[in-house]
Amino acid sequence: MKHAPLLAIIALALAGCGRGSEVTFADAAITLPEDSLDLPQAPGRDAVLANCTACHSPSMMLQQPKLARDKWAGIVTKMREVYKAPVDEAAVPEILDYLVAVQAQAEEPAAREGA
Amino acid sequence: MNEGRLSRRALLAGAGGAALAGPVLARKLVDLGLPGGPSLRPLDPQFPGKGEMIVQRIRAPLLETPMAVFDEGLLTPNNRHFVRWHWEMPTRVDAAAHRVTVGGAVERPASLTLDEVVGAGERVEVVAVNQCAGNGRGLSDTRVTGAQWGNGAVACAKWTGVRLRDVLAKAGVAPGAKRVRFAGLDVPLTDGAPQFLKSIPLEIAMRDDVLVAWGMNDEPLPLLNGYPLRIVVPGWFSTYWVKMLSTIEVLTGEDDSFFMAKGYRVPTQPVTPASGEVTMVPITTMPPRAFITSHADGDSVARGRPLTLRGIAFGGDAGLARVDLVGAGADRPCTMGPDAGPYAFRRWEVTLPAVTGDLAGIGVRAANVKGAVQPERLAWNPGGYARNVIERITLRAS
Repeated sequence: MKHAPLLAIIALALAGCGRGSEVTFADAAITLPEDSLDLPQAPGRDAVLANCTACHSPSMMLQQPKLARDKWAGIVTKMREVYKAPVDEAAVPEILDYLVAVQAQAEEPAAREGA
Repeated sequence: MNEGRLSRRALLAGAGGAALAGPVLARKLVDLGLPGGPSLRPLDPQFPGKGEMIVQRIRAPLLETPMAVFDEGLLTPNNRHFVRWHWEMPTRVDAAAHRVTVGGAVERPASLTLDEVVGAGERVEVVAVNQCAGNGRGLSDTRVTGAQWGNGAVACAKWTGVRLRDVLAKAGVAPGAKRVRFAGLDVPLTDGAPQFLKSIPLEIAMRDDVLVAWGMNDEPLPLLNGYPLRIVVPGWFSTYWVKMLSTIEVLTGEDDSFFMAKGYRVPTQPVTPASGEVTMVPITTMPPRAFITSHADGDSVARGRPLTLRGIAFGGDAGLARVDLVGAGADRPCTMGPDAGPYAFRRWEVTLPAVTGDLAGIGVRAANVKGAVQPERLAWNPGGYARNVIERITLRAS
């Protein structure tokens, strides 16, 4: 255990420290890393790129546990109806094809890893 | 509990699954041990002001603290504090132009500069655990959808700010006030989508230790953690700790906004994946949790030698009462480290006189002074919230 940082804080679980005014706020800006849109090849990939990844990184889809097509459909519906994502209704079947196919693909290397 | 552990498998892109298709680049991956996978996460790209973090999502950022960071001390360094944004995060704050409006059921609506917020009252410091309501969701078994966190969507910091009640006093809370709602600079990308609004009961807002904070471990809040101001509600889940605070609104009734009325809700009674519709209420306070940080699942330990385990624990919405090592016939109380307050991480340590064989499924169980004890079995819920099952690892004697 490293105790050094503790010395400073032991007594100050909740300490009033007066009305100091030395706090200053500077303008702040950061540049976030590029999102490389790593999406595995599978049918429907273009539909996903056109309809999903404007709002969030692909990892949000790719990291989900394996889901049945109807569960994915529920998520896409939530994106459209609750979060007002501009997903083209005509593209939804392709998006679902892609999500199901990519999760099936992902199981193969996982199985090899476990071997 | 595999967090923070680099996978022992080949850790090159392409070996880890479909998420990494594309050019083969050497990258470090972490195996979060999520049941059924996918379980590998990259430690890059690096974010400004952040060190090595588990990158759950680049946009909007979801960055998880590796478990090994918690072995280094009681306060999580700012550059390793987890990050969670719902909507695309603002990347620029103009300090002079920033205002915090205080409105709704108030006597005189106010629009406060940052200096006016700082000057609203006595300066207060509190050491408190900031934990995402969904921390550990990815470990749910049965799995649920959402951000697939391991156990690192949590951190402990010393927060500096003024009391929320002193900021409210600038506007004067009107009779009939019931709740206080917060909004930050982050707004939805699309028209009509719900803004991230969160509210707490008035009596919580008036607490001595509920802050409008600008300091995190004696530094300004990192932009990724909510610069210039965020709400701090010790003992309550991070979902209420609204970042880049820009709006405070006093409500006279219930809050029907999306992230209160539809999201971040937990069942009022035990449920299983087979349960139908059940009564759900907004998640609020944290239960106790404890983690082994000195060893990771699968580590080797020396047979015949003494073994010291250490880690962190916290009591949730009350101070820790005790931490016990459990499992593998090794049950015994742990020695507690210094107490930095009821809402802080607390170190624990325990020594086994001699390792006689594999230590299968050992864990640590925290209990708080209100009598809440970590359960043997996961209290599964459909949102994957408030995980606090005893976390277990296996150590191999060699």
